[in-house]
Amino acid sequence: MRLELKVQCELCPKRCLIEPGQSGECRVRINIDGVLRTVVYGFPCSIHIDPIEKKPLFHFLPGTKILSIATVGCNLHCKNCQNWEISQANPEDSEATFLPPERLVAVTRYNHYPSLAYTYTDPIIFYEYTYDTAKLAKEANIRNVLVTAGYISSEPWRELLKYVDAANIDLKGMTDDFYVRVCSGTLKPVQEALVLAKASGILVEVTNLIIPTLNDEPEQIRELVRWVKANLGGDTPLHFSRFFPHYKMRHLPPTSLKTLDMAREIAMSEGLNYVYIGNIRSKAGQNTYCPSCKKLLIERSGYTILQNRLKAGRCPDCSKEIHGVWK
Amino acid sequence: MTRRKFVQKLIRAGSVIIVGACWLAKKAAPRKFVRAIGLNKYPGPLKPLGDIHKKSKWSG
Repeated sequence: MRLELKVQCELCPKRCLIEPGQSGECRVRINIDGVLRTVVYGFPCSIHIDPIEKKPLFHFLPGTKILSIATVGCNLHCKNCQNWEISQANPEDSEATFLPPERLVAVTRYNHYPSLAYTYTDPIIFYEYTYDTAKLAKEANIRNVLVTAGYISSEPWRELLKYVDAANIDLKGMTDDFYVRVCSGTLKPVQEALVLAKASGILVEVTNLIIPTLNDEPEQIRELVRWVKANLGGDTPLHFSRFFPHYKMRHLPPTSLKTLDMAREIAMSEGLNYVYIGNIRSKAGQNTYCPSCKKLLIERSGYTILQNRLKAGRCPDCSKEIHGVWK
Repeated sequence: MTRRKFVQKLIRAGSVIIVGACWLAKKAAPRKFVRAIGLNKYPGPLKPLGDIHKKSKWSG
């Protein structure tokens, strides 16, 4: 017998207290008769084949395709979300396909894709589906990639990382105020998730979306870059991404190329070796250069690899080992 | 009633109250979950697996 039928979801730092029949903030984890249930397990709303560069992952199997899935829902509510039509949707209003983990892995194998991405919304909210699929995929020699905001409690994060090969994790800003106002989250759990991911040995790439007037000051960018270098290392690939007016931030202009170039220059002057610019065409900002001899290693145009000069993960000119997973 | 018996009764009554209060607190606190159980029934409309090679409109 229970006197209290509320449940507390401890998957993410929000620790939602959920009344019977209600869902948590993510909209997909529901209290049914005092038990926490997920309504999206095995029901992705999006399944696509993408270039791995689109995640973006630039130091992980470049030039390969990746089967990418998402369910509806998200535990954050970023006012600038580019995928808000699925991330902020209710499952009742969104179409989904029945694709349990075994079938998802079978589809990936059948098409000979080397990896699977849990992306578009946030794999944290379809944790159980991601976890079970990743475990099966690993057994089938398929790599697992997460694209996430990293807003998750430490214990389930550690468990999931055992089956993950690479992750692109957003570091959206460097203040709690930014996370609270723009994303309805907080900064510290994200930083902890980044450090844990790095410590687990997976490949970590970081994305920072630069939003005009909100996080585009040189000092804010410098602080972020210094944190990345000090906590994740100078070899961590960092992507500065261009903001476009979306969802509840249609009043702001897109980020200028000048601002993105400025951010890249700051990051490189602070000692980050691999700094990229995304969501915009930028010649230098999309290529990989050797941090030692500065020669071009991987030339990209959009999501296409024009040339890859790496030899067994090393610079062909000076033999410097380049951080990444290359095969 | 001797003083010893009175103390014994007092301790017994105190123990019953403490055990009862703990039981009540446990039953009255929300259950905590990290993992959720799959529902096996999607609340929205279902669609067949479409063309997965079609370019995604989503970021990431």
